[in-house]
Amino acid sequence: MRFRFGEPGELAAPSADRLAVGDPRVVDFLSRFARKLLAPAVARRHPELGSLGFFLRPAELSRVAGRMRRSDDTYVFPRGNVFHVPPANVDTIFVYSWALSALAGNHNVVRISSRSAGAAETVLETLNATLADADPVIGRTQRMVTYGRDDALTAALSAWCDLRVIWGGDSAVEAIRKHPLRPSARDLTFPDRTSWAALSVPGWLAADPDARRRAVVGFSNDAYWFDQAACSSPRTVFLVGADPQGARQVQEEFLSLLGEVVVERGWGVDAAMAVEKRVNAYGLAASGAATTLAFPGNAVTAVSLTGPDVAPRRWIGAGAFPFAQVAALADLVPAMNRQDQTFSHFGFEPAELRAFAGALGGRGVDRIVPFGAALTFSAIWDGYDLPHEFTRLTTLET
Amino acid sequence: MSVFTLAQRERETLLHKELSELTEHHRARCAEYDRILSASGFTSAATVADLPWLPVRLFKTLTLKSVPDDEVFKVLTSSGTTGDVSRIYLDKAAAATQTRQLGATLQTVLGARRLPMILADSRGILKDRRSFSARGAGVLGMATFGRDHAWALDVDGNPDLPALKGFLEKHGGEPFLIFGFTYLVWLHLYEVASEHGLDLSNGILIHSGGWKKLVDRAVSPVEFRRRLREDTGLSRMHNFYGMVEQIGTIFLEGPSGGSLYCPDFADVIIRNPQTWAEQPVGEPGLIEVVSTLPTSYPGHVLLTEDLGVLDGVDDGDWPGKRFSVLGRLPRAEARGCSDTYREVS
Repeated sequence: MRFRFGEPGELAAPSADRLAVGDPRVVDFLSRFARKLLAPAVARRHPELGSLGFFLRPAELSRVAGRMRRSDDTYVFPRGNVFHVPPANVDTIFVYSWALSALAGNHNVVRISSRSAGAAETVLETLNATLADADPVIGRTQRMVTYGRDDALTAALSAWCDLRVIWGGDSAVEAIRKHPLRPSARDLTFPDRTSWAALSVPGWLAADPDARRRAVVGFSNDAYWFDQAACSSPRTVFLVGADPQGARQVQEEFLSLLGEVVVERGWGVDAAMAVEKRVNAYGLAASGAATTLAFPGNAVTAVSLTGPDVAPRRWIGAGAFPFAQVAALADLVPAMNRQDQTFSHFGFEPAELRAFAGALGGRGVDRIVPFGAALTFSAIWDGYDLPHEFTRLTTLET
Repeated sequence: MSVFTLAQRERETLLHKELSELTEHHRARCAEYDRILSASGFTSAATVADLPWLPVRLFKTLTLKSVPDDEVFKVLTSSGTTGDVSRIYLDKAAAATQTRQLGATLQTVLGARRLPMILADSRGILKDRRSFSARGAGVLGMATFGRDHAWALDVDGNPDLPALKGFLEKHGGEPFLIFGFTYLVWLHLYEVASEHGLDLSNGILIHSGGWKKLVDRAVSPVEFRRRLREDTGLSRMHNFYGMVEQIGTIFLEGPSGGSLYCPDFADVIIRNPQTWAEQPVGEPGLIEVVSTLPTSYPGHVLLTEDLGVLDGVDDGDWPGKRFSVLGRLPRAEARGCSDTYREVS
């Protein structure tokens, strides 16, 4: 086991340290950490760390901490010990999860994958650089470790924690759940998710060229930043409008703008990914789910589906975009289920979106956000109010 | 009789006609294949290179066959590195053709008579059911081209010197066949033969399998030939390249070594992995293999996940294209929130 952050020592040992909800020592640490992330050199190298720095800016920290407090005679306390098991490949999600839990005053152990690279390494360097001037309680209560296949350690941390946070999809949840928790503890799980995009056909046709371009730029960030494989990355694009001819035109315009943006950004996919996408696209055609396939370049693969019911829920490659046409948002409601997380949109009236959100009736979809905001982490995630999950309540009646 | 006779122009004219007909044949009989081609907008091909290729991995994810269920005579499987398995459906005619054409290809270098044969492997692989499908099937398939077989390794995988010595005493004075996977030939046959001064000068080695394990030991194809020739007398050797998805078609190394050649019923196209255009001589790319043998499944035009390079056209031991295999394309891996936990549990 390797300590990546915090004071080395017995992870599951009892601790005399106490942090409060919104503890000033944590707020101070996170603010200075955020400032380092927003340094131009860092943000240029890893744009996603800029987003993280922005999320951890002092104003946002105090807003989130404020939401944890209550004005009635109810006391809000840290939940206690939290064990985080983030995914290996999304470099920054562990920081959001950990930072909110730290802000809630919890003692945290984060298991960092040995495969972590790139932005995750920068995050760890920055965290350690911030630790030097921090209150020593931070290092004693906040620990990040990397360890290989060690069921005994996972079991010990599972028995130690009051809350276990499992990212990484269904297989991760199933694997970690083999280790029992204390009777009073529970899991916060982030299973496999699917995310969608919806384009209003009349909305697109009414938008001026600048607005269309901004929409495509936002969408391309959403799709390409994590190889379209993050739980919030949009995959199938629903073309919403009564006119099939208009939908085809919008699809073509959208794809051609997307192709331009991808070239401008210098985003490409390697040969293996291009082959992977062919295999998946051909599979959709073979089953009859896809009627046309287009491979305008390796970075963009377009698939026209027969309808929203056949939209694939598994990852089919970086830069692979199935399209399905429906007359109205209401027609998408039956196709949505509990696996569906983010629904990003362009060109709809607020009333249309409200009607859609209401019609979903909880059957699925956790976030409905504009193009460009799909990956923007928020304290409410996967349907959980995280600050609430990371705290516990003591009520008082006098 | 040789199946390495056609110069590139005649070959392409012939293949263009036959493969175009095969494309129509499969479209009419395999609905999945027809849907893929329709969705891709394919109508007809002006050249062999224009024919629509299928990624070879598709045979691991889809059932693709052009014969009714009751005419399936044999289902071949290959285990890939990821655990997925290709399933290749043969009817009686296709099974017979592939055996006949593989035989004809090998006869070009072995002659018409069945030769005494050393298998550079262990009889043990036939017992291990897990490794049987890949390695065992390959060895058994080749074993039919020889007689009076000797195994170079005993059941436990250790070199069987008495077996080799006995074989050479009996057959070493006449031409004999040696078959094995390249790295096994190197590790287990070459080392034993050179150490004990075995005379393999009448042998003809047919070997296959990647060079990766040997490159790791700093043994290049040139070094492999040189050391075998100098230390064991073995001078006739032919590497080959082939895959279960195009069973019966092998691309065989010429007598002077170095390049692989295409039999008359097959060809290769090296593709640029960004533009997918055909690469000129000397430019590496992905290897597409075409063959007229797959009649019972649409595997006549396949994009492999192997990297290769064209070494020349109509300028080598045999007519047509000659090429080298450079290695394997690494598997595409997702980042993402999911599928990331394999390392732990």
